[in-house]
Amino acid sequence: MGSEARWARYATVIVSLLVGAAVWEVAGRYTSDAFWATLSSTLRSLFDLLHSGVLMRQVASSFQLYLSGLSLAILVGAPAGMLLARVRWLRVALENYIMMLYATPMVALIPFILSMMGFGFAPKVLVVFLFAVFPILYNTVEGARSIRPELIEVAQSFRSSEWRLWFDVMIPYTLPFTMTGIRQAIARGLVGMVAAEFFLSPSGLGQMIMMGSQNFDTAGMLAAILIIVLLGVGLMDLGRYIENRFAAWRGYKP
Amino acid sequence: MSGAGKRFSKLQVFSDVELEVGEREVLAIIGPSGCGKTTLLRCMNGLIPLTEGEITMEGEAITSPREGVAMVFQHFGLFPWKTVFNNVAYGLKLAGATRAQIDEKIPEYIKLVGLSGFEHYYPYQISGGMQQRCGLARALAVEPRVLLMDEPFGAVDAQTREILQFEMLRIWESRPTTMVFVTHAIDEAVLMGDRVLVLKGRPSTVHEIVEVDLPRPRNRATLLLPRFAELREHVWNTLMADARQAELEVIR
Repeated sequence: MGSEARWARYATVIVSLLVGAAVWEVAGRYTSDAFWATLSSTLRSLFDLLHSGVLMRQVASSFQLYLSGLSLAILVGAPAGMLLARVRWLRVALENYIMMLYATPMVALIPFILSMMGFGFAPKVLVVFLFAVFPILYNTVEGARSIRPELIEVAQSFRSSEWRLWFDVMIPYTLPFTMTGIRQAIARGLVGMVAAEFFLSPSGLGQMIMMGSQNFDTAGMLAAILIIVLLGVGLMDLGRYIENRFAAWRGYKP
Repeated sequence: MSGAGKRFSKLQVFSDVELEVGEREVLAIIGPSGCGKTTLLRCMNGLIPLTEGEITMEGEAITSPREGVAMVFQHFGLFPWKTVFNNVAYGLKLAGATRAQIDEKIPEYIKLVGLSGFEHYYPYQISGGMQQRCGLARALAVEPRVLLMDEPFGAVDAQTREILQFEMLRIWESRPTTMVFVTHAIDEAVLMGDRVLVLKGRPSTVHEIVEVDLPRPRNRATLLLPRFAELREHVWNTLMADARQAELEVIR
């Protein structure tokens, strides 16, 4: 029965995707090329871009930006979060700023970053970083603060040094929470990447979308969007996989 | 080992506690909920400081957790990301044991508490009773001269609790250490202790110390001795006299 139910699920998913593709194709045939392209012409455009090497170049450029910003966000967010959780006065002092920045739609800061830093690679990395860092920071702080005092007491009772306490207790306990933050950051960083490529110096997939739209090359634009969608789905799955692996001890099935 | 303690704080939890625990003696501490049993035990471990008086062990004042003392925690205090094996090895590792020493000793303690075969399970995969066996093995593995038990069987179900009590007696017989056993169960206090210390009042003080002259080794048969019933009744009366009075006061 289990495998039957699984097949029914797969069949439903496949039919759903096929219907979606058909609707896309049909809608493309009955609208102007300037607004909407058929699935087949989008795919043709995608293969052309792939063949000419343009696609790989733009994807690489976008990925370089994305990974730089995301890595920076992880390297800053996770240690800072744990420090804030353990050092009370620091947390009290900075809490409001973090909440304010977390609540701010980061897009609103882009013109400001542009006027401060101009059009380089660095300001774009900063945008991705700002999009990605707060979920990591926030989840890490909340995670590290939720540690059961009993576990700290166990460590002290067995005469653990402060350094060993971090290594044996604080970091392993907090890691799954940080991973939840990283999963959210993976999605938000992607938004940051496209926004930076739109509003700062155009590059990568963002530039492809902009150019496609300006040149009425709807198929090229949709091809770039399709790539971003697939990247997003793949990265979200990767994030969920990583999160589950680190949360095995919480009783989840990886 | 000798210990004498007092304590005051903003809320005076307990005061003028004077007691001495001999080598290889089991002292059971009993008292109503919130009387400061656990606080007293944490002071003995050096986890929290006293505000008055002092506790000494082997002639030295206890100011922070010291070598030779191990605690078994009420809610087990296992690290959920470590396997049974690594949880049991935790104390030894901190004490600087080598990999070889750990590989040699830990299976012995896992076997002693009856967890053989579960070395690679995580705490969430085993029952509460097994988790506390693991907590006990972790404490025993550092070969303490003093074992502090903080309501160790308070968080497991009634049947498991009985099984663990007799397991504890068996393990203690095989390697007797000084033990301070905090509990709120009268049966358990009488069964475990060489003496039962009744802590009560507000702030709590040592109300009475009952000598438990039951023969060792103790086991299930001990529960059937008339003397057990007498002692149990005695402790019950001592504890409940106040409780009933307090209840009457509330009604009035």
